[in-house]
Amino acid sequence: MPSTRVTLNPVTRISGFMAIHVTIEHHQVTAAQTEGMLFRGFEQMLIGRQPWDAVYFTQRICGICSAAHSTASTLALENAMNLTPSEQGRYLRDIIHGCEFLQNHIRHFYQYTVPDYVRMPQEVPLFQSSYGDFRLPTAVNDQLIRHYFASLPVSRAAHEMIAILGGKAPHNHGIFVGGITTEATVDKIMKIRSLLAGIRLFIETVMIADAETIARYYPEYFHLGRGYGRLLSFGCFDNYPVTGTLYVDPSLYRADRIESFDPARITEEIEHSRYTGAPVAYQPLESMTTDAIDKPAAYSWIKAARYQGQPFETGPLARQWLSGAYRRGISAMDRTIARVREALTIARIIENLLDRLEPADTMQTAYSLPQQATGQGLIDTTRGALGHWLKIADEKLSFYQVITPSVWNLSSQGNDGQPGTGEAALIGTPIQDPTQPVELGRIIRSFDPCVSCATHVFMPGRKAPVTEVIVP
Amino acid sequence: MTTLTQAKPNLLWLELTGCSGNIISLLDGAHPGFIDLVTSLVNFRYNNSLSAGESSDAMDQLLATLGTDFILIVEGAVATKANGRYTVIGSVQGKPLTALEALRLLGAQARHIVAVGSCATHGGMSAAAPNPSGCISVQQAVGRPVIQLPGCPCHPDWILGTLTALLEHGSLELDERHRPRLFYGNLIHDRCPRRSFFDQGIFARRLGESTCLFKLGCRGPVTRTDCPTRQWNQYVNWPVEDNTPCIGCAQFGFPDQMEPFISYDIT
Repeated sequence: MPSTRVTLNPVTRISGFMAIHVTIEHHQVTAAQTEGMLFRGFEQMLIGRQPWDAVYFTQRICGICSAAHSTASTLALENAMNLTPSEQGRYLRDIIHGCEFLQNHIRHFYQYTVPDYVRMPQEVPLFQSSYGDFRLPTAVNDQLIRHYFASLPVSRAAHEMIAILGGKAPHNHGIFVGGITTEATVDKIMKIRSLLAGIRLFIETVMIADAETIARYYPEYFHLGRGYGRLLSFGCFDNYPVTGTLYVDPSLYRADRIESFDPARITEEIEHSRYTGAPVAYQPLESMTTDAIDKPAAYSWIKAARYQGQPFETGPLARQWLSGAYRRGISAMDRTIARVREALTIARIIENLLDRLEPADTMQTAYSLPQQATGQGLIDTTRGALGHWLKIADEKLSFYQVITPSVWNLSSQGNDGQPGTGEAALIGTPIQDPTQPVELGRIIRSFDPCVSCATHVFMPGRKAPVTEVIVP
Repeated sequence: MTTLTQAKPNLLWLELTGCSGNIISLLDGAHPGFIDLVTSLVNFRYNNSLSAGESSDAMDQLLATLGTDFILIVEGAVATKANGRYTVIGSVQGKPLTALEALRLLGAQARHIVAVGSCATHGGMSAAAPNPSGCISVQQAVGRPVIQLPGCPCHPDWILGTLTALLEHGSLELDERHRPRLFYGNLIHDRCPRRSFFDQGIFARRLGESTCLFKLGCRGPVTRTDCPTRQWNQYVNWPVEDNTPCIGCAQFGFPDQMEPFISYDIT
């Protein structure tokens, strides 16, 4: 039987532009490449800018997870300034960040995932499906369509919560060095509690049940898309000085063991992505890459993030696994189940944090900048592990590096030719009908790819050009 | 292939070189919102974030719209470096379709082009110096006038209000820079609830203060939107009420000419 090359371009229902290229032999995927098709070069843009501006500037990397970038850039600045925010400041900042988890997970499940398994109203051109593998009985299918629309006010309410504390969303103004910029007055907290109660009810009574319904009718997806089975988290809602850890500590899982995490073991490799630089494997603070669109061995704008040279998966399943909340398995369907369950975890954590708030005056002060400094901000966000690394020289940014969750999950091959995590999840997948490869998109979307975030840049001096872009 | 309803025009929403945050902002709109868009206002045919179909089927929905009556909404700037290959939005018959090609192809035929968000209206964040992907605005790329809805992101009411005006009246009143006066008619500074602090010379010296943020870098005096009166996300708040400066995200020149966003040098 001949081998078939299949390209899906674009993979829709993700943030940004991505293609999948696979080889299918005997109804099985034998080779796979995931290609990020967008380059913006944020790291390059940030050179020479005022350091504070990074908090609002880097949010524009991603329209669906912008609070993640404001959080990571704030952490990196605080690290560079040697400043520790108050515990109350961290609670408030993390509440905003948590609301983004809710917004993202609800939209990813209903608007991005559901059309993979539910036949949407075919009379609407936007909803016309590419494939015919829909298994839900009509009444169940119709109910999930209703929930697709019923979810819209719910995810909208999550963004409203961000706006209450952060001014607006996407691209909030509230998260900043020291905590947030506004007081958590009783009227605001009351409003947030009320919105949160409605969101939590929807997650508990509708969203989790809908995911389980899909799982029941598509059970083989519990056996597809496993990948390497190595999981990584930078930690989030963790290590509060008074409260301790409410969710997950920085940690990783491989070879059936949970291990502690050491940020010094993170590298990026660029042999197969459209960048040049030396060395071709580097720690986040030492790199300088330049965009090189026609580099022969390159096939993606997404670099290869590695931990001790190994690809890892990051995101809701990794966090649910590492925190012990969910350990049924590692697969495409487990990722989806973990995501909806994590939404409930996060709703409870936000409730917990709200209970801990005390009336406080502003956390802000007129900050001053160090002449020279280096900072790193590592945090788990909606899609997984996000890192910002920066250097300040003469009170300006002289270096900026972003490694987003999608640089882990949708990485290109490593310098050793080892496939990225998403590629490994595709390889070996049985394809029922190579002319209708519905399995590929279902598996890749389970990672919630964000190619908008996968964009980085690096540059020497004021004029250098390079960025690597990928979305978390 | 779908049979199109005659009465309603087709709608295409292109995401180009940007963060795809404007389609997310659209989902934050309530009355009307995305539901109205797909069920009653138009035949919504294509958007990368929301299309159920993928790959060539999604591309077919996009390209089969050529030759019909359609409105084109565009978010994101247009990468021109390497002939546009820094942003590829799909492929047609095995060949990559760049953002630049897609926009020129569709932009030549659209009944209206609406540039949504600051990347689309003037390059915005995607064109920030040193403009690594060579981004230009939608209007520059298509070479014909487009309706300009700047903002980072664009407010959902600005998008759907403009679309509704086009559907019901065929046009709406624009200023000299092609912005609807309805939404961009006044300077933020002129409608700012903290204007009295400015007039009295009471200025915040740090974020988090409830007085005038002008000296910290507020761009309200040069930015035209209705943020102070309309507000965001179910009309609950906006950046100045959050005790932070307006960063001029809806002003031409954002971000480079609006920085520094925050300045503690208030002398």
